[in-house]
Amino acid sequence: MWKYTAKRIVEMIPILIVISILTFLFIHLIPGDPARLVAGKDATLEDVENVRHELGLDKPILKQYVDYMKNLLTGELGTSLTTGLPVIDMFKTRFMPSLHLTFLSMFWATLIGLMIGVFSAINKNKWPDYFGMVTAVSGISIPGFWLGLLLIQLFSVQLGLFPTGGLDGFSSYILPSLTLGAGIMSMIARFTRSSMLETLQADFIRTGRAKGLKEHSVIVTHALRNSLISVVTVAGLQFGFLLGGSVVVETVFSFPGMGRLLIDSIAFRDYPVIQSALLLFAFEFIVVNLIVDVLYTVLNPKIQLDS
Amino acid sequence: MNYVKKLVFVILCTLLLAACAEKDNSNASNTGEKSTTESDTASSKNELVIAVNENFISMDPHNTGDTNSSSVQETMLEGLLGFDADGQIMKVLADDYSISEDALEYTFKLQEGVTFHDGEQFNAEAVKANIERIMNDESLRLYSRGFSLISKVEILGDYEIKVTLKEPYGPMITRFGVAKMISPKMIKENLADIPKQPVGTGPYKFVEWVQGDHLTIENFDGYWGGGDRVSKITYKPVPENGSRVAMLKAGDAQVIYPVPAQNIDELSNNKDVEINKVPSTIAHYVSLNTYKKPLDDIKVRQAFNYAVDKEAYLKVVNAGLGLPLDSIIPSKTVYYKQQKMYEHNIEKAKELLTEAGYPNGFDIEIWGNTNSDTMKGMQFIQQQLSQIGVKVEIKSMEEGTLSDEIYGAQTPDDAKLQMWYVSWSAYASDITNATKPLFHSVSFPPNGANTAYYQNPEADQLMDEANSISDVDRQAELYEKLQEIVYQDTPWIFLGVDEVVYGVRSNVSGVLVNPTGGLDVKNAKVE
Repeated sequence: MWKYTAKRIVEMIPILIVISILTFLFIHLIPGDPARLVAGKDATLEDVENVRHELGLDKPILKQYVDYMKNLLTGELGTSLTTGLPVIDMFKTRFMPSLHLTFLSMFWATLIGLMIGVFSAINKNKWPDYFGMVTAVSGISIPGFWLGLLLIQLFSVQLGLFPTGGLDGFSSYILPSLTLGAGIMSMIARFTRSSMLETLQADFIRTGRAKGLKEHSVIVTHALRNSLISVVTVAGLQFGFLLGGSVVVETVFSFPGMGRLLIDSIAFRDYPVIQSALLLFAFEFIVVNLIVDVLYTVLNPKIQLDS
Repeated sequence: MNYVKKLVFVILCTLLLAACAEKDNSNASNTGEKSTTESDTASSKNELVIAVNENFISMDPHNTGDTNSSSVQETMLEGLLGFDADGQIMKVLADDYSISEDALEYTFKLQEGVTFHDGEQFNAEAVKANIERIMNDESLRLYSRGFSLISKVEILGDYEIKVTLKEPYGPMITRFGVAKMISPKMIKENLADIPKQPVGTGPYKFVEWVQGDHLTIENFDGYWGGGDRVSKITYKPVPENGSRVAMLKAGDAQVIYPVPAQNIDELSNNKDVEINKVPSTIAHYVSLNTYKKPLDDIKVRQAFNYAVDKEAYLKVVNAGLGLPLDSIIPSKTVYYKQQKMYEHNIEKAKELLTEAGYPNGFDIEIWGNTNSDTMKGMQFIQQQLSQIGVKVEIKSMEEGTLSDEIYGAQTPDDAKLQMWYVSWSAYASDITNATKPLFHSVSFPPNGANTAYYQNPEADQLMDEANSISDVDRQAELYEKLQEIVYQDTPWIFLGVDEVVYGVRSNVSGVLVNPTGGLDVKNAKVE
């Protein structure tokens, strides 16, 4: 497993280089002149040219890319075109809240999703199953921004239990994480249910029951564990998307995360921020996928990653 | 049922954890029902939370282009001059000032006994350091807005300074209002921190800025102007309209700006909240490309103005807020003179089109950004012009793409633009910026925002002369003439002027919004 992990980490380098080239090209190809946007709409051509020179945007694209990569290797992500602040400083305040939000969302989603899935499977076609699946379908059908506003209205404005938005202690994470996790919770619930139903039909479960194993042990130790592989796959993929895909939730809850930073930066064509944020998301996605692959062997040692 | 019990247990644990986290939290700004209890706590602490719709971009006053950042800076930093509630120039750190007749020399007498938040003295040396920073650093926004025209800065005494320009520049007086003073020590030793944590002479001093989350300032005890005000203000960028409104209702914010048009009625009925409206300098118009057919014909352009019902525009597109645009500049702009409006008259519009040789109308494009209000505005224009047989095709483009399409044209011949649905805002005290970039022939894209490619030598001459003198009576005369000429030439469909709307909790007083949309909380109080 260690050899496999090391190999995958080395493989990440060329992937990240290709991603950096592609993102660099894409953001320079999309229409919109950052110099004009930074200078403002009342700027004269001379002002715009001054800004372009100051930002180094008048250099050839290849030179700009090489400079960017050189800086990247020394841990320097450049300076934001709009705020004039180092990109790394902007990430410092945004990255951890986003990461915590993602983890908490995944925590809820996995915990509640697994419970609903297992509970539905062992009560197949009974009212708890119907209830669980209605909850799951609702979670995936309700748009995030609407669910967010609904939760704010109910829990913040009416009941006063949680803040309406912003980041101010642990309580600020509850409503955004529930909103963000709702869709994944539903997917995990549905995958767990179908996977559990399949596993519960398997011969080894019948054998276990025939040998007199307790029902609790059959469900948790044998059936659930064997059902987890497909659930981990779904959860892993979704986790990757969550890291960069929380824009709507971050906007509704005025949450100072990476998603909002990226959207704001795209509006201003803030190249250094967009480029570094995209690269960071790609990196996170690859790392999460690696963790998922490694988790497979933990769940089922028969899976040989090295081969 | 074992699982149900566990599930309930976990949820209860989390709620408990959340409750504990809230109790530990000393910052009273952020909790609900609060609507009475918590906001009362904030009140008793004499603190304000202000939710605005956009992020702050920079705290460097010499490099700021957005109103939101400027509003926050106003609380911490002061300029030689500033702006009153109507957006007109007033003295702040300057005790007095004079402008030479040729509009080249500006002499300022400075307030004495003023100190910066870091203990530095405010004097002529400090002013010189600030002005020289702007005039020497090309990357600063203010550099290209007048300060690059400064030829010398002379200290006439400890508290007197003279600034000389290379050539006259009308808006220079407004620029002195925008150029806030930073501690000379900071300029000398800590330039990199200016955009992050500026040090000025204002009634509030900087405490903390967590990008994208909040910016906090607190009362500066040694403020030279004295006065009674709240002890701490926290600004929060909340772009989502619904969330901002929820914050005001729950008491999580004591001030929100702007108030979304669709929530005005609901909030007006809430006894805990007050809603205020202020006429702005934000003008909405459709720029008509006067250089190319069919809009090169004044009759066509006038027909468009007669065809569009301005009152209906405000009701349909602006939720009933705002005033019709009855000159080339909004009424809050200095030297404004009301013009005789093009009344809504479909028959007259049709007659004019027929006279211009288009009895059956024609096809035309209107461009605008992807903002939903812009879309609504463009659809309104489309519907209005369809009544005179003109078929309007809407092309909405993302802001960056739109900017490229418009400013990418190097000559008027290259321009593909026909009509552009857009708005413009200038300082109320700066009529040059409200006219020259829009109507002067030197301002054709890409060199300016004269996207109507409007060219009238008489108008050019009026703007040039007004810009080269300091005699305000003569300037008023010239600008009044300019408004008449350009309004008659109709390079735009003149639509409306925004009213800005802000909401405050009932126990808060002293909050103002000036016509440029700047939020002024320097004298805010909580009862």
